Amino acid sequence: MTLFLLSVIVFAAAQLLPGDIGRNVLGNLASQKDVDAYNKALGLDRPVVVQYWDWFSSFLRGDLGTSLQYKVPVADLLGPALVNSLKLATVAFVLVVPLSIVGGTVAGLRRGRLRDRVITVAGLSLTAIPEFVTAIVLILIFGITLGWLPVSATPPEGAGVATQIEYLLLPSFALVAVLFGYIARITRAGVIESVEADYTRTAYLKGLSRRQVVVRHVLRNSLLPTIAVVATQVGYLIGGLLVIEKLFNYNGIGQRIYIAAQNKDFTMLQSGVMIVGVVYLAATLVADILYSVLNPRIRYGSAE
Amino acid sequence: MDRDEMRRIDEYRRTTAGPLENDLVDELAEGGISRQDFVRRATMLGLSLGVVGSALAAYDTPLAFGAPTAAKAGGRLKVAIIPPPTQEIEPHTFADQGGLETGSIAGEFLTRATQGLTLAPELAVSWKPNANATIWTFKLRPNVKFQSGQSFGADDVLATYNRLVDPKSGSQALSVFKGVLSPGGIKKVDNLTIEFHLDAPTASFPYLTSSTTYQAIILPADYKLGSFTKTPQTTGAFRLTSYTPGVGAKYDRNPGWWGGNAPLDGIDVTYYSDDAAVIAALLGGQTDLIAQIQFATGRALFNNSKVQIFSTRGSTHRQVPMRVDLKNPLKDARVRQAIALTLDRPAIVKTLFNNLADVGNDSPFAPVYPSTDKRVPQRKKDLKRAKDLLAAAGYPRGFSITLTTEKVGEIPQLAQIIQRSVKAIGINLKLNILTATAYFAGDQTGGPGGLGNTPWLNTPMNITDWGHRAVPNALLTSAIRTGGVWNAAHYKSKKTDRAIAAYLGSIATSDQRKYAGQIQRQLLADTPVVFPYFYNYLAAGSTKVKGYKADALGGVYLSRTSLA
Repeated sequence: MTLFLLSVIVFAAAQLLPGDIGRNVLGNLASQKDVDAYNKALGLDRPVVVQYWDWFSSFLRGDLGTSLQYKVPVADLLGPALVNSLKLATVAFVLVVPLSIVGGTVAGLRRGRLRDRVITVAGLSLTAIPEFVTAIVLILIFGITLGWLPVSATPPEGAGVATQIEYLLLPSFALVAVLFGYIARITRAGVIESVEADYTRTAYLKGLSRRQVVVRHVLRNSLLPTIAVVATQVGYLIGGLLVIEKLFNYNGIGQRIYIAAQNKDFTMLQSGVMIVGVVYLAATLVADILYSVLNPRIRYGSAE
Repeated sequence: MDRDEMRRIDEYRRTTAGPLENDLVDELAEGGISRQDFVRRATMLGLSLGVVGSALAAYDTPLAFGAPTAAKAGGRLKVAIIPPPTQEIEPHTFADQGGLETGSIAGEFLTRATQGLTLAPELAVSWKPNANATIWTFKLRPNVKFQSGQSFGADDVLATYNRLVDPKSGSQALSVFKGVLSPGGIKKVDNLTIEFHLDAPTASFPYLTSSTTYQAIILPADYKLGSFTKTPQTTGAFRLTSYTPGVGAKYDRNPGWWGGNAPLDGIDVTYYSDDAAVIAALLGGQTDLIAQIQFATGRALFNNSKVQIFSTRGSTHRQVPMRVDLKNPLKDARVRQAIALTLDRPAIVKTLFNNLADVGNDSPFAPVYPSTDKRVPQRKKDLKRAKDLLAAAGYPRGFSITLTTEKVGEIPQLAQIIQRSVKAIGINLKLNILTATAYFAGDQTGGPGGLGNTPWLNTPMNITDWGHRAVPNALLTSAIRTGGVWNAAHYKSKKTDRAIAAYLGSIATSDQRKYAGQIQRQLLADTPVVFPYFYNYLAAGSTKVKGYKADALGGVYLSRTSLA
């Protein structure tokens, strides 16, 4: 249902974009007659509902159509871009999730103390800085001045896994800076709530060590909101990294969608947004499953 | 004076030369033309290097032809192209910088416009006009093969040019050929000879067959539309072997190139869409050459010891057209003159380009063109006169108007400078800065004004980016002449049109200058368009790039480039 609604919104939004596909493809010097003939050949003179159903049913069958801009199958362009986005998102996730959870947990357990203040202020400050500023600073320091890391995220053709990760480090650092403060803050709040909860007090009274209490009770409960937050960031990390992709010249799906919107490449635009939507829904589903695994109340509630 | 050379040139004039060639040699003999202009026009008329050398030697101006420098062979050059092609790579439809740069690495033309605005033979070895320059005969280079293995000949030129002049093909070269060459005007004489029967006398027609018409890449007669990036099928030094839209392209050396072996093994092109990213890539060693940089956004590269700047003087410029046909103050030529008089052009050139540009004089005649009449006074800032003109036109307190433009390069800064400048005479200029896509969106044909509804051709006042041309013909016919396809000012002047026609048909430089002067003066009087400057084409590379020269139009020609 969500996917259906998304498809309607995407299709409607694409129709609202100004411009004429035929004119865009044939150029400004083409006659209106030729433009009209081109649009007719594409079926753009049919009722909007028919056009929508034609597109959506093709999408469900895995047929993404042909790019109006480049005249090649959309799947050939979006496929590699999606893989690239998933790679960048994975490296960024691997860095930012553990770091933020550790940071948030330490801050929550040391509430009001120096470590809490340092982590909270640093996280908030990094989040407040626009990502293009963080990215440029990272490029200047680590890419140009020190020369430690590549400034472009696209590795040479045929590069191994280690080289690919090396090329993805700088953009991932920029994403860590953006997300760390947000995820750590949610984790911190969850930890504080869990530390003050009755079950934690009970665990201490049972004679468990502080380490056991934190790992078995505090973290398990405090991570629930964190998981939900992390899941919501998946859509951003897959389809919303336009600035990062541009600055690190990375062929991700965000940039593809942006260029498609700029050039009124409707087939690519619609399919790109739908793919990001599918990935987002899948991430939310995974988060729900993880949530129920970590939270027995949900499982038992469902059983009842 | 060398007697032997004189005898040779006399014999050439008696036996081979036509009236156009004889006029040219007369001009040289009479001292009415500089050595550089003679070479430029001689190449345009198709005189062989031997004849050019003899003529110069005969008149005590020896010509030294430089020997090519030895280049280290091997290596792959990493080239950054910004912005990426915005559409399919289809030469006859090239309309954007990314597309023409991508095509230029593999493609070749009948002739090539050089940095010094001379013409070099490429797939044509010689060319010759009839007496009034309405028929041009081109002899084609023998023993050339396309990368697909087919032999090159007249059929291929015929098919390519038929596509370029076909109004239904989506050809962007119509901006150059409309009114010059029509369908049916291209005729095969034999397998290595082709004739162009022109619509009107055009003395500089060979320039229109050169790389300055970047859509005119010669393709096989059986070329299938849409296959340019799928199969290597040009004649150039490099074969396009892989292309991913928006990402990059790969080229390998063409072992069968008629010009020999290019030093480089290949070229890896990466497309960029962000200035900061491409500059970082060069400074960080991830690219060797940026095909085009803007001074406004590439300041970090200047005065950097690891970077070399390739600068070529040309006619790349911005036009500020003002609609002459709308019911607003711009309809009055005095108002348009007043606006032009508020601009401090030397200061603008210094601020925006650090003087890597020539000041414009409100006509397409850039200082770099030999035909430009330099005696026409340069328009300078004169606020008093501007205020007087505005008052005389009935606007002593100024008025409000909107300037629409695109977010490209330094154009937004230029718009702000114009806004500040005209404020001094009371004009309240509102700025409407669009993305390039929005600025060029819409139709260019039809509608009440005949130029569709696209903002760049229909707003009262705007600023548009224009590329370099080796000769000003296309600028005159498309932007200035009545009914021109890109006449954004909607300017109509029979007097100017007559001078343009006379200029286009003139053979001798002195005649061209005479008519150029008429056009320049008329445009200063009417001021339909402000031409604030003509800036140098800039590229940047690491110091290990050798033998590269920037092309003023943006073509990336790498057959003589090597890596240290």
